[in-house]
Formats: sequence, structure tokens, C-alpha cells
Amino acid sequence: MLRVNVKSVVGVAAITIDQQCKPDKRPYRLIVPERIANAAIVTPRVFFMQCHRSLARLRPRILHSLSSIATMSTTAEPARKAMPSALTFDRHAKCSTTKARASTLKLPHGDVPLPIFMPVATQAALKGLTYDQLRDTGCMLCLNNTYHLGLKPGQEVLEAVGGAHKLQGWDRNLLTDSGGFQMVSLLKLATVTEEGVRFLSPHDGSPMLLTPEHSISLQNSIGSDIIMQLDDVIATTSPDHARIKEAMERSVRWLDRCIDAHKYPERQNLFCIIQGGLDLELRKQCCEEMVARDTPGIAIGGLSGGEAKEEFCKVVDTCTDLLPEDKPRYVMGVGYPEDIVVAVALGADMFDCVWPTRTARFGDAIVSSGTLKLRNRQFAHDFSPIEDGCTCNCCRPKDKGGLGVTRAFIYHITAKETVGAHLLTIHNVHYLLTLMANARQAIMEDRYPAFVRQFFSNIYQGDKSKYPEWAVGALRGVGMDLLAD
Amino acid sequence: MDPETSTPSEMTFSVLSSAAPVLAPRVGKLAIPGRQAISTPHFIPLTTRGAVSHIAHDVMRKETAINSLYIGLEDFIEKKHPAPLYKTPVAPGESPLRRFICAPDDMPMILAPRRFPAIPCPPTNTETSIAVLTSVGFRQLSAHQWVEAVQNLRPDIAIGLADIVTAQPPGIRRRGKMVDRTHAFTRDALEQLYGSSLAEDKKSKTAYFAPILPLENAQQSLYLEDLETEFRDRLSGLALYESTSLSFIPKDIGDLPRLLLSEPPTPHDILREISLGADLLTVPLIGTCSNAGIALAFTFPSPSNTEERGEPQPLGIDLWPSEYAKDTSPFLQGCECYACRHHHRAYLNHLLAAKEMTAWVLLQLHNHYIMDQFFAGVRDSIQRGTFEEDIHAFNRAYAPTLPNQTGAGPRLRGHYLAPRQGTDHPKRMQKVYGRLDGLSDKFNESQSSVATPDTDAEGLERHGFAEKV
Repeated sequence: MLRVNVKSVVGVAAITIDQQCKPDKRPYRLIVPERIANAAIVTPRVFFMQCHRSLARLRPRILHSLSSIATMSTTAEPARKAMPSALTFDRHAKCSTTKARASTLKLPHGDVPLPIFMPVATQAALKGLTYDQLRDTGCMLCLNNTYHLGLKPGQEVLEAVGGAHKLQGWDRNLLTDSGGFQMVSLLKLATVTEEGVRFLSPHDGSPMLLTPEHSISLQNSIGSDIIMQLDDVIATTSPDHARIKEAMERSVRWLDRCIDAHKYPERQNLFCIIQGGLDLELRKQCCEEMVARDTPGIAIGGLSGGEAKEEFCKVVDTCTDLLPEDKPRYVMGVGYPEDIVVAVALGADMFDCVWPTRTARFGDAIVSSGTLKLRNRQFAHDFSPIEDGCTCNCCRPKDKGGLGVTRAFIYHITAKETVGAHLLTIHNVHYLLTLMANARQAIMEDRYPAFVRQFFSNIYQGDKSKYPEWAVGALRGVGMDLLAD
Repeated sequence: MDPETSTPSEMTFSVLSSAAPVLAPRVGKLAIPGRQAISTPHFIPLTTRGAVSHIAHDVMRKETAINSLYIGLEDFIEKKHPAPLYKTPVAPGESPLRRFICAPDDMPMILAPRRFPAIPCPPTNTETSIAVLTSVGFRQLSAHQWVEAVQNLRPDIAIGLADIVTAQPPGIRRRGKMVDRTHAFTRDALEQLYGSSLAEDKKSKTAYFAPILPLENAQQSLYLEDLETEFRDRLSGLALYESTSLSFIPKDIGDLPRLLLSEPPTPHDILREISLGADLLTVPLIGTCSNAGIALAFTFPSPSNTEERGEPQPLGIDLWPSEYAKDTSPFLQGCECYACRHHHRAYLNHLLAAKEMTAWVLLQLHNHYIMDQFFAGVRDSIQRGTFEEDIHAFNRAYAPTLPNQTGAGPRLRGHYLAPRQGTDHPKRMQKVYGRLDGLSDKFNESQSSVATPDTDAEGLERHGFAEKV
């Protein structure tokens, strides 16, 4: 028998939970440590978090059984720290067929038209661009990565300089992720415990611990307009269902810790992150739990990890059905134009991905017909602009005040001079921002289905037999026939 | 002699103030119809593959005062001739080179056979060609191809082909050959570009700068004589490879603009070259400093208060050290460049440490601006007639050399690096991935200390954590 005796500090009720343990294991009776009981803890939820930390050194199996207790306690606890919001979300139009929405997100550093793509300035610099160049593309909101800024320049410097806006000279909005995604991308080097993520510093190999409190404290120092909770990210393709469930539940618990740790809710908006892998039931539970916590915005996380597109769409579709209409929805790590256009139809508003800027450095241009690999010899003699009619600084002809950059010049310079990367980055970011602006316009005019059909027609040269099935299926699910004329 | 009537191109060069025809600093103006005028002395920004390193075209137009480009033809040569550059569709009379590299219409373009600084080529030059390094390996650029390039690409200024030996100092026989070949290259090029047999509309509009070899006066006297007499009418300028050549420029071609293709290691050397009469200079130290993370920090004439400070001031600030991590002052106090107006040392320090490309962009903008101001100061000083004293004050006020590079620069591509012989040299680029491979044991250790309690059940009980039931 495992007996857990807990006396709440607020003195509501003592919870006694008996749970069957395997007979071969020595049962424990948990004693509440003095320091926890004496601490100024108001809710049993926080109390449980403290227990978890104390129990981190106990056997994982026991910990696991305790986790579910903690989850139960949170659902049973209605009194939560009030969650101020530093944003306003104005909805303008909703597509009459699909779930697409057009809105404006008013953040402390300016208004962001939604749906939007956010370019990623990982280490407080958008890959060789000056911030005036980024402004020229129309960008109102870009990303920094907490994990990277935490390592370089570090929290101390960020505090001293006065935050990331001042560090990088960017007067528009910033969003920081929590560092949770690095759990997936650095999985070999990281282990996740209830306490947080233990990983090796990629710079010197020293062991480090990232807890929800650390992550929020760092993001508070960064001062980004939107901050993300630390979530337990695992690859969606993971076959370990128990682990996925654990990650989802842990993400909920970590959200509570993040909310408690968040120092500046009146100027930084904390977004929760829905987890649950590809299991729609888990996603639903997670939505329910997290929506109850009333964060200013909601992200759908753990996707774009190599899962099938059908699964991806199902998850987004399921989540948006359960999410409140009056909050922005951010699908993390999604950046292929096709995925974005479909996800907008499924009711998502915000997207980010490093792909457009990364692929630019490899000489790939994003255009309405897909992607052009401009390092291919066939472009050596192609003197047309990267995309005809594109209004970015690169593609606009000289007589219209642009640079008149041609495919041949990109072929000539890309991967050999940094300027080649800069030029193509400008184009790719501009392409995605324009795509989003056009999508928004289409939603406002209630012709989003036609926009989506045109978009797919451009990519596949009108050949409907080549349309991806996942897109057709996902759009059918929201009442739109992609194959219609 | 009036240069406007004496050269076949439409370029004009007028000397505004000069103490003596040779070996004296002078202020002038180089004007090409339809292009920005260049006040001399001035530096020529260097390009690689048609772009000034790290400065994207839109940034160049908006945030710099770059008013000429030095372009090496070798950057555009591909395996197959003609290279794509030649096929750029253009309006009649337009330069395919300008269109290809997306240079602004009013930007003076100087085309040379080789980039600057040129990487030494192991293959030797021949009677009819010179060895060049292209992105597809070493090639020979024939004199004929070069003239063809000038005719087709229509740069504003072309620098004549020269037989230069870079690998080691040439022997006496080789030196004779250098002069003979260069003489022949110049003679043939001038004939093919501006020859009297050509119809008026076939004559090239490009201004031709004849090379003067980095040899002693006596060794190339015959060539110099011909430049002065026979070739004089077709020449628009001179390209020199070392500052000592400035001392023996024949009087009759003294009024031609002098482009000095040298690598002055410090601004002190630039001043010396200007004082010897150089009009246009190449200053590769701008780019090397940017790549090294050094922000230039000098002005000319030196500010009046620098001497009072006693210690010579540094010529540049190495922004790598962590002492700048929290320094929110501009790179250089009072600097009006784009980087200093928008950013601070702390950001640059972070960008360098993070190896972000933006670091080199900002440094290039700053360093080009500093050099612009420096040359503007030089021109004023010459016109005021205080150049000599200002140089002395500058030499006293500033340290004799630039700070040493402490951090790593951007990854250098093949066209920046001299090829090396043999195999027994260290890798240029250390492997970035797998740095943590040796740390897996350490990781396992740290992992296990988390997962397993370091005490047994009794221990836990003793600590009051849990009790046995």
C-alpha cells in the first residue's frame, strides 16, 4: 500500500489516497517535509508540485502513480491565479465554409494581422538581415529562441542590457519559445524529469537543468511579447503511448508552474502548449485542462516532428474545435506553405518555422509554384526574377525601385557569399508574409476556399490528380472540396 | 593636356589641388557621365562575386556611401565559355555586368582581370594569357578574352592585363619578360578597343587604366616611354601595384588618375600612399577587420584632444572580448554609421560569439563608414594645405598597428584562400558536429545521479522524506 497523507496548508481537507502497489515493492508512506508545509503555498496544486520535486529522487514508477494524483488534484481545484493578458485579439471575419479566421493581434510592440507567419531569428538575429530589412518585408512579429539566448548571451547580459528588444534593436514584437523543443532536437543529450529537463550544454558539455521556472525567468528577462510555457515535448512519432500521456500530463503541471513563476503577466503574454502526441483523446484532455487555465493565447505543440500530414491535420482540427474562439491559436514549428494554408482552414492563426530562412541559405527560393533549387545548373542562364510579379526588394525590377535580382545571379552567388543568403532570405520571408496577407484578405472577403484552390492549383499546375490526399481530406473535414472547380 | 579630349572614353579626371605633379598629395574629381562622381583620393570598395562582402544590395544603397565597385572578372568565369554573365539580356548600350550583379545605374564599375587581393596561382602566366583562380579551379584568361570581356561587359573603367608574379620575387630574366608581356598586352588591348581602324561606334566607351609593374623604373623604362607617347591618347588612367611606382610616373601622364592596387596594413600606410600621390586606393583592411570582429576607430585629422590623452589611441576595437558583453554604447562614440545608430557593442559581441552573419554585416557598414570619413578628412586636409602636419598628428595620436584578431571570422570559401600544397597541414575548418561525442559518459553519469536515489529506504526515512510502512 502506498499511502499519501497530505494536509493542505489552506486547511481545506486532508487528502488521503491509497493506491495499490505491486507486492514486490516496498511500500512507502509519504511524509510532508516541513519546509513545504511552512512555505506560503496557497493551493494544493502548487503543493503537489512541491511534492513532485521532492519525490524526484524516488523510483520512477512511484512517481508516475503520484503524477496522476497531481493531475486529479488540479482538475478538482477551481481557484487559480488570475491570468492578466497583455494582448487584445480582435476578430474581423470568419470563413463561412472553413474554420479560417482573420483577426488582429494587438501586442505591446504593435499590431499583428492574423493569420501570420513568424520568421525565426534564433539567436537574436535574422540570419544576416538587418532589422530594417526585416521591417521592409512587413514583419511585425518574429521569434527568438529562449534556449539559445539562455546560452548566449545569457540571462545576466539580457538583464543588464534590458531585454532582447534592446539587445537586437528590434522595436516590433518578439515571441520566444520555451526551450522545450530542444528536448526533441537534442533528445540524445536530454532527459526529462518532473523537475525539468537535464541536458548537456552544447558549448562545453557541462550538465544543465532547465525547469519551467528557469524557462519563464529567462523569458521574463528576454522581455518578449509572447512567451511560451515549458512543455514536455516528445516526438509525435514516438511509439511509447505511456510516455506521450506522461508528457501531456506533465505539460499541464508545468503550465501551472509557469503561470506561478511568470513575473510580468501585464506585459508578456504566456501561451500554453497543447500536447498529447497524435492521440486525439489525449489532445482533448489537454485542451480541456489548459483552456481552464485561461492563458492569453494557446499553442498546439509537438507537431512538425515527422508525423504523417493526415495525423497533423486531425490534431489541429480536433484542438481548434475545443479552443475558445476569442484567443489566438499558434501551431508551432509549421512552415511549409501548403501546411500553413491548410492549417489556416482548420482554424489556426500563427505559424513559425526556420525552413524558409534555412532553405534560403542553401539557395532554395519559395515561389507560388513550389520551391526552386536555384543552385541547379538550369538556373545559371535564367535571367528572370526569382518570382515574376513578386514585390519583394529582390524581385522588383530596378525601374520600380527594387534590386532586379535574377535567378542567374542567385545561382552565381549563393552558398559562396553571405550576400546570396541575405537576398534569398529577404525573398522567402517576404513570400510567406505576402502569402499570409493574401490569405487574410481572402478570409475577409469570404473567399478563402477559392484562395486555397488557387494556391494548390499554382503548385501542381492545375493537375488535381497530384493534389496531396492529406490536404484534400483535411479540407473536406472542414466542409471544403479542394478538387471542386 | 586636357584629359577630356585626350581619352577615347567619356571619363574625365580633373586635379583640383596639388603641390607638384608627382610625389605630392592631390585632390581631384573623377567623373563618368551617368555615374556618381568620385572625389579623390578615395578608396575603391572591393567585391567578391559581384557583391561587397556581407553587404546586401539594398543595404548598400540605403545605408552606405559606396560610390564605386572593384570587380574581378575571374569571379564570373565558368567551365564553359561564354559564362552566363555574357548572356545577360540588356537594353542597347547597357552593361551586362551591371545588370548581372544588380549594381545601381549610377555606380561606377571598375573591372579587373583578377579580384583583389588576388590569390596567387600556381600555374604560370603565358605570352598570351594570365593564370586566374575561378570558382571552378585555375584557368588561363587570354588577352583576347580579356579585351572581349571589356568590349561586351562595358565596365566604366577597365584595368589592363599585367604579367605579375605573385608567388616569389621574380628573377632578372622573368622581370624582363614581365615588362615585354605587359607591354604587348597593353598595346594590343588599346588597339583592339580604340584602334583607328575601328568605326567610331565600335570603339569602346570604357576608360582604360594601364598597369605599371611593381618593378624598378629602369626595368620598365621602355614601357613607360611608350605609355607617355604612343599610348598616351588612349589611356584614361594608371593602375599601380606598389606605392614606390608613384615616384617615377612620367610627367606627361602625371595628370592621369592613379589607382594604387596595394594592401596598406594600417591607415598610416594609406596616408603615406596618398601623400605620394595616389588617387584611388584599394583598402582590403576594411574587410579583414570586419571578418576579425574589429570595429575601426580612427578619424582624420585626429581629434584635437587625442594627443592630450598621452597614450596612443587604438586604431580599432576588437569586439570579441566579453568585457563588451553588457556594453550598450555604440561601436565608436559619436559615429553616425548605420550600425552605431541602431546597435551597440553588447549586440555585436553577442553576434560574434553566436557566429551570426549579421555581425559581419554591421561591422562592414561601420568600417566602410569610418573609411569614408577618413578619406573625406584627407581631402579636406589636402585642400587646406595642412596634410603634412595632420599626418604627423595622426601618427602620434594613434597606435602604429591595428589590434590583433582574437576570435574566429566567418567561414572562408575557396576563393578567399590560397591553395596549399601537399596533405600534411591541419584542417582549415574544424569539425563542428560531434563535439559532444566524448561526453556521453559524463552525460550518463549526470543522468544516473538524477534518476536513482543515492540512498536506500532507510536513508530516505532518516532524511524524513518518507517512512516505511
